[in-house]
Amino acid sequence: MQRDVGSLPLAPALRARLVAAGFQTAQELLDTGPCGLSKEIGISKEEALEALQVVRQECHSDATQTAGAPGTSRKCTALELLEQEQAQGFIITFCSALDNILGGGVQLTKITEICGEPGVGKTQLCMQLAVDVQIPECFGGLAGEAVFIDTEGSFMVDRVVDVATACVQHCQLIAEAHQEEDHLKALETFSLESILSHIYYFRCRDYIELLAQVYLLPDFLSEHSKVRLVVIDGIAFPFRHDFEDLSLRTRLLNGLAQQLIIIANDHKAAVVLTNQMTTRIGQSQSTLVPALGESWGHAATVRLIFHWDNNQRLATLYKSPSQKESTIPYHITPHGFRDVQPPAVTQNPEGTELNPRKRPRREEEK
Amino acid sequence: MALLRAALCPGLTAQMVPLLRASGVRTVVDFVSSDLEDVAQKCSLSYKALVAVRRVLLAQFSAFPANGADLYEELKSSTAILSTGIPSLDKLLDSGLYTGEVTELMGAPGSGKTQVCLSIAASMSLGLKQHVLFLDSTGGFTASRLYQMLQAQAEDEEEQLEALQRVQVTRVFDVYEMLRALQELRDSLSQQVLSSTGPLKVVLIDSVSAVIYPLLGGKQSEGLALMMQLARELKMLAREFSLAVVVTNQVTRDSSAGPLKPALGRSWSFVPSTRVLLQSKEATSEKTNTRRIASLAKSPRQPTGIQVVLDVGSGGAQELSPATPTQGL
Repeated sequence: MQRDVGSLPLAPALRARLVAAGFQTAQELLDTGPCGLSKEIGISKEEALEALQVVRQECHSDATQTAGAPGTSRKCTALELLEQEQAQGFIITFCSALDNILGGGVQLTKITEICGEPGVGKTQLCMQLAVDVQIPECFGGLAGEAVFIDTEGSFMVDRVVDVATACVQHCQLIAEAHQEEDHLKALETFSLESILSHIYYFRCRDYIELLAQVYLLPDFLSEHSKVRLVVIDGIAFPFRHDFEDLSLRTRLLNGLAQQLIIIANDHKAAVVLTNQMTTRIGQSQSTLVPALGESWGHAATVRLIFHWDNNQRLATLYKSPSQKESTIPYHITPHGFRDVQPPAVTQNPEGTELNPRKRPRREEEK
Repeated sequence: MALLRAALCPGLTAQMVPLLRASGVRTVVDFVSSDLEDVAQKCSLSYKALVAVRRVLLAQFSAFPANGADLYEELKSSTAILSTGIPSLDKLLDSGLYTGEVTELMGAPGSGKTQVCLSIAASMSLGLKQHVLFLDSTGGFTASRLYQMLQAQAEDEEEQLEALQRVQVTRVFDVYEMLRALQELRDSLSQQVLSSTGPLKVVLIDSVSAVIYPLLGGKQSEGLALMMQLARELKMLAREFSLAVVVTNQVTRDSSAGPLKPALGRSWSFVPSTRVLLQSKEATSEKTNTRRIASLAKSPRQPTGIQVVLDVGSGGAQELSPATPTQGL
């Protein structure tokens, strides 16, 4: 109740007036009452009532929590968190090397950012994850659903069909090998159609649409409680043009990042973003770094950088709270995102990358 | 800027307050800074009574003088130096975290800020058996990593679980939630009812810039006010309840090739009394680079600019040992 007026979530102008009128703590505001308050600082009674409701809400939660009530779900000991973490599972990528360096797969309740040059496979991984999150629980999946927010128009549904078909086949193979009842039962509903119908696709054309979509997402997620994955393919694209005021961009981006963390935490979902690369010109040499600047680097909890080494695609874990930095090779096959298997590559000529348009770029860079 | 109330001080009667208010004297500051002769005439109150009230108010609101010897005694009895569990970082901080102070860790993404925070939490709860409050605003707190660090330091499982229970994690994703969490902390500390748990010595905030940044920039300026509110709250908590407060901050550059500097600007730079910059060591071999350089950017005790090397490998941030770090999970 002794909470400082300056720290209450009120409109800045109102807060300034309250402070100027000599109010110091929330208790004083509550004691004054709406009529007194409206007279005191010259606002309408409705406004005063509204402000007091905000104050009361804040103070009420103070009181319940200090009294030892369960409070919000955001407060717990590390032991409880550890139990939660161990129970919640991962979204596998179908590339065991990548799963390993991520500590089991893409983590729920965290933001994972994938940075890389065009054509290196960022969108491929996103589409793979949108399929993988739906693998039934008996196959070690999450039986979830996916939200796919596309800013660049790079989502290709025919490619998702390829990936999903391969995934269903994979599960069928497992079921045939084990002949367990729950496997067969799960497969009855796990089909290409069901996979496609549980990917919710949003196309956002500019940053205003993207911001609006992200701020509306909590409502959507409460209605679709099975969503375990939110992909934003191309976080950088809408923010890399049309901005004259760069400080506004930083502000919006940071707000967006906090909103995404709230979504990830409250809905137990993994948030996956893709980011472009940009050139930083140094004194002696220039390097490729993720776009959107230094401060955006803090937004994601896990950061993966995809890059080329001659003809090999490599993924480097650059930032993670639980795993150490490492680099692994990966492969993109017609079936999706896969491990590199040295003999399989030579035996299987179709195991090269899919998009022939993007191949010359690599040669240029060498 | 307290409001004038009848019971605020002896001599200020219930009749006087409305009269004063009518002539525009609402707060203590108004009262003290107004011309009393003028007020006495306007409100038809006795000048003598007003002067007496002013004297009492000034005495009541002024700071009480303390002498250096007393302060030193108090310092000796209330200050603790808490080891971070990382010998080289302790050396940098002049033997550890001081209670009553705000220490800041800053660094680029992936420079190990969260790792050092987790490492401090592990060593406080396990080694010193202290309770730790971890305010997580970036979702970076990973209990499995903390558990891994505890396992590296203690064999006994019972002990590890107890240590985990001593770490209280609160997730706060905007500045108001953070302020509310700190307010709750203040309430519970002042009422001495930190539930069944023991005394709290360390508050870790990872990261403070994540909640402030969305309010800065653009045309609005309320972000600065909230930032200073947060700063005041942190300093007050640290001082009043002898807590060691550790915050993490980002770094920015002026231009794309400029040197690194701490984020949140000049006004924040006065808040932490100690600032440590974490940087990745220039990688000679690209693989598994877990070494970080910590350098002191601001300190009331040590010369700034001294550097030590940390290893944020599997067992938690620790001093660089000649042996290569063991494989993580």
